[in-house]
Amino acid sequence: MPTPASISEDLSSALATLLAIGRPVSALIVAGIVAVVLAACVPALRARLRAAVGALLAALAIGEAVLVWFHLRLGQACLTVEPQSGRVTGSFAVPLWIESEKLYVLALLLAVIAVGVRRHGDELRPLLAGAAAALAAAALLVGKPFTAPLPDFLAQYRGYLAAWASGDAAAAAQAFAGIEGARRFYYNAWYMWVHPPLLFVSYAAFAASFAATVLMVVKKRSSYEQTAYRWARLGYLPLTAGMVIGMPWAIIAWRGEAWWWSGKVNMSLMMWVLYTAYLHGRLYLRRPGMWKVVAALSIVAFVALVLTYLTTYLVPGVHSVA
Amino acid sequence: MERQRTAWDFALMMATVVLLGALGVQSLVGTLYAWWAYRSVPGWETTGYPGFVTAMNAVAAPLAVALVLVMGLCVPKRLFERRVLVWVSVVGVAAGVGAGVLARSVQAGLTVYLGLAALLQGAVVVLTVAGAGGLAYMSEGRIAKAGSGLLHLGFILFALTVVAWQDSPVMLPAFVASALLLAGGSAMSFYARGSREAPSGTST
Repeated sequence: MPTPASISEDLSSALATLLAIGRPVSALIVAGIVAVVLAACVPALRARLRAAVGALLAALAIGEAVLVWFHLRLGQACLTVEPQSGRVTGSFAVPLWIESEKLYVLALLLAVIAVGVRRHGDELRPLLAGAAAALAAAALLVGKPFTAPLPDFLAQYRGYLAAWASGDAAAAAQAFAGIEGARRFYYNAWYMWVHPPLLFVSYAAFAASFAATVLMVVKKRSSYEQTAYRWARLGYLPLTAGMVIGMPWAIIAWRGEAWWWSGKVNMSLMMWVLYTAYLHGRLYLRRPGMWKVVAALSIVAFVALVLTYLTTYLVPGVHSVA
Repeated sequence: MERQRTAWDFALMMATVVLLGALGVQSLVGTLYAWWAYRSVPGWETTGYPGFVTAMNAVAAPLAVALVLVMGLCVPKRLFERRVLVWVSVVGVAAGVGAGVLARSVQAGLTVYLGLAALLQGAVVVLTVAGAGGLAYMSEGRIAKAGSGLLHLGFILFALTVVAWQDSPVMLPAFVASALLLAGGSAMSFYARGSREAPSGTST
C-alpha cells in the first residue's frame, strides 16, 4: 500500500532524473537558439537559417519527449489515496501545456511553423524563427520546465502528502478533498487535453499571420495579405472550437461564479471578435484603401492575442493566476 | 429584388458587427477597469467584484438579446423572398415575445425564438446539401454554401445551449456539437474552391 513516504521517494527520484536529463537538453536548446540568432543576424549565414531553426526544433522535440516521459512518471508516482481508508482513488494525467510548460509548447509550435512555412517562406522564416528562439529562451529562463517543473501542481500535491503524513485526520481529509477535486476537474479533465492545445495551435498560426501582415505593411505587397489570411483562417478554426469547448468546462467547474467576466474570458472574446471582423473585412478587400483597414485589424487582433495571454497573470478572475 | 436582398444582408451583417463590436469594447473596458481596480483598491476582489459583475451583466444583457434576435433574423433570408421574409421574421419575433410574456421569462422567449430559428436553419442546411434551388447565399459553390449553413446552425445551437440548456444533461453534447458545426462549417466556407480568396497582386 502506498504511503506518503514511498510516494515522496518515488516523486523525488523522478524529479532528480528530469533534472539530470534536463541539463544537457537545455544546453542543446540554448545551442539551437544561438544558431538561429546567428543565422538570422549574420547575412553570410542567412542561407542556413532553415537548418538552424530545424536544429532548434529537434532540440525542443527532444525536450518535449523528456517532458512526456516525466509526465508519465508523474502518473505512476503521484497517486491520490484516501487517508482514512487507504483506498487509491486514481493517478494524475497532468497535461503537457500548463504552468511551466506553456511557453515551451508555444516555442515548439512556432519552430514547427518556421521550419515548415512555404509560401513566402524566405521572408517569413527570420521573423518566425526569431520568435521561436525568443519563446524558447523565455521558456528556459521563466518557465524552467526541466529545473523547476509544475510548481503549483507539485506544491499542492506535496501539501497533500504532508497533511496525510501529519496524522491530523481532519487536515488530511481536507487536503485529500482539495487534491482529488483538482485531479478530477482540472488535471485529468478531458477539456484540459483539448481546450488549451487548440488555443495554442491557433496562437501559433496567428503569429504567422501577424508576421505576414507586418511584411505586407513594410513592403506594401498584397501577396503577403493572402499569406496572412491563410494563416489567420487556419488559426480561426481551432480558436473558435477551443473557446466553445471551454464553455461547458467553465459552467461545470465554476458553477455559481461569474466566470464570464473574468479578464481572460473577456480578452479572449475581444480577440475572437477582432479576428472575426478581420476575416469579414477581407471580403471587401478589393475596395480602395481597404487593405489598410484589414492590416490594422490583423495587427490589433494580434495585440489582443498577446494581451489575452498576459491577462492570465495581470487581471484577477477565476481564469487567472493574478 | 436582388438589391433589396443584398441590402438586407448588409444591414444584418452590420448589425452583427456593431453588436459584437459593442460587446468587445465592453469586454476591453471591463478588463481594463478590473485591472486598475485590482491594483488600486485594496481587497477589491471581495468588496468590488460582485458590483462589477452586476454592472457588466446589466450592460451586456440587452446586447446579447439583440445579438440573438439578429441571428434569428439572418436565418429565413436564405429561404424566402422579401414579402414572405418580413412575415416569417415578424412571426418568429412575435412567437418569442409571446412565449416570454406568457412564461414571464426572457429566457423562455429566447428559447422559443431560437428553437424556431434552429428548425428553419436545419431546413436550410438540408435543402442546401440536397442542392435545391432558390436559396440565397453570398458565397458560391455547394460546399461553401453548406459550410455557411452549418456555421450558422452552430451559432444557433451554441446560443440555444447558453440560453436554455446550461443545467441540462444535453449541455455537454450540445456544446461539442456546436463546436464541431462551427469549426466544420468555417473550414468548408474557408477552403471550398473559389470562396472568398481575394485576388493576388503585386502591390497594394
